[in-house]
Amino acid sequence: MSEIDPKNTAMSPAEQKAYQAKQKQRAAIMAGLLFFLVVLFYLITFVKINSSIS
Amino acid sequence: MTIASTSPHKLASARDLFALTKPRVMSLVIFTAICGLLAAPGSIHPVIGFTAILAISLGAGASAALNQWYEYDIDAVMKRTANRPLPAGRMDRETALHFGIGLSVFSVLLMGVAVNWLSAVILAFSIFFYAVIYTIWLKRSTPQNIVIGGAAGAFPPVIGWAAVTGDVTLMPILLFAIIFFWTPPHFWALALFVNSDYSKAGVPMMPVVAGRQSTRKQVAGYSLVLAACAIAPFAIGATGAGYGATAITLSLAFTFLSFRVGVSKTEDPSAMRAEKDLFKFSIFYLFALFGALVADRMIFA
Repeated sequence: MSEIDPKNTAMSPAEQKAYQAKQKQRAAIMAGLLFFLVVLFYLITFVKINSSIS
Repeated sequence: MTIASTSPHKLASARDLFALTKPRVMSLVIFTAICGLLAAPGSIHPVIGFTAILAISLGAGASAALNQWYEYDIDAVMKRTANRPLPAGRMDRETALHFGIGLSVFSVLLMGVAVNWLSAVILAFSIFFYAVIYTIWLKRSTPQNIVIGGAAGAFPPVIGWAAVTGDVTLMPILLFAIIFFWTPPHFWALALFVNSDYSKAGVPMMPVVAGRQSTRKQVAGYSLVLAACAIAPFAIGATGAGYGATAITLSLAFTFLSFRVGVSKTEDPSAMRAEKDLFKFSIFYLFALFGALVADRMIFA
């Protein structure tokens, strides 16, 4: 188990804004990657099932 | 209980995480893997082929992340690497380690589930080889580090081949050997004219430990072995005359440039024309040779 070091948590408003912008950017990229993987795994499954039938 | 060391100021950006995968090195890995995949006999569904290349790329990115996690101290003192996310202080080591391990596991599982488990095992071994045997164990302890590191970079075409055929025969072993014996002349040519940077970092590069003259002789020696490996696929009848002619021509040029390095006595890095020419040509050589292999397979198969 871990906890956030209180010495590192104090941020100025500008730092907090930058931090949240980074978080938002990472979340958006992660969502895009997850969507890509959903499509990829759908296609892989489709190909695998097709090849096992034929 | 542990205190999380992640500072909010060091939340890694997506760009830095991407930079951690050494995208420029990855381009060569992707290229050789695609060539191995296309040169292999048989066929692979485009979706599975794409997945195999994706898994190889992610595996290469994972190796690079683990390499930078371990080498943050060396990277910090070298001009070429000082601006990487870890030495520049834009990311903490924990993030790089987690990213590297997560990407390794994902790439191997993706390869195993979607393509085949032989490719997945070779991919897992190549990541282990680069991150542990090369980076952690041998890079700082032997001047032969580049020779050994070359093996890690030589796996992609073998994995690409195994993704199609499900086995490893003589031909993918020759592709492995080509990259393996290409690596020392390629990197030592670079190390000869950026010698001071490696000395500063304390990495026992061949020019630092054995001296420039010894390194130059070894560059010339390796070029002969490389030429033999490059021409071998044609000599054993595994490729057509198109590849054979290209391999002979390119290898003659590579050997000539390597021997020019071999007889050079220059000590001033800015005057090392022969070394710079060889370094530039070595990149073209590998791309052209593997390109010829694929073209030969496409035309003569």
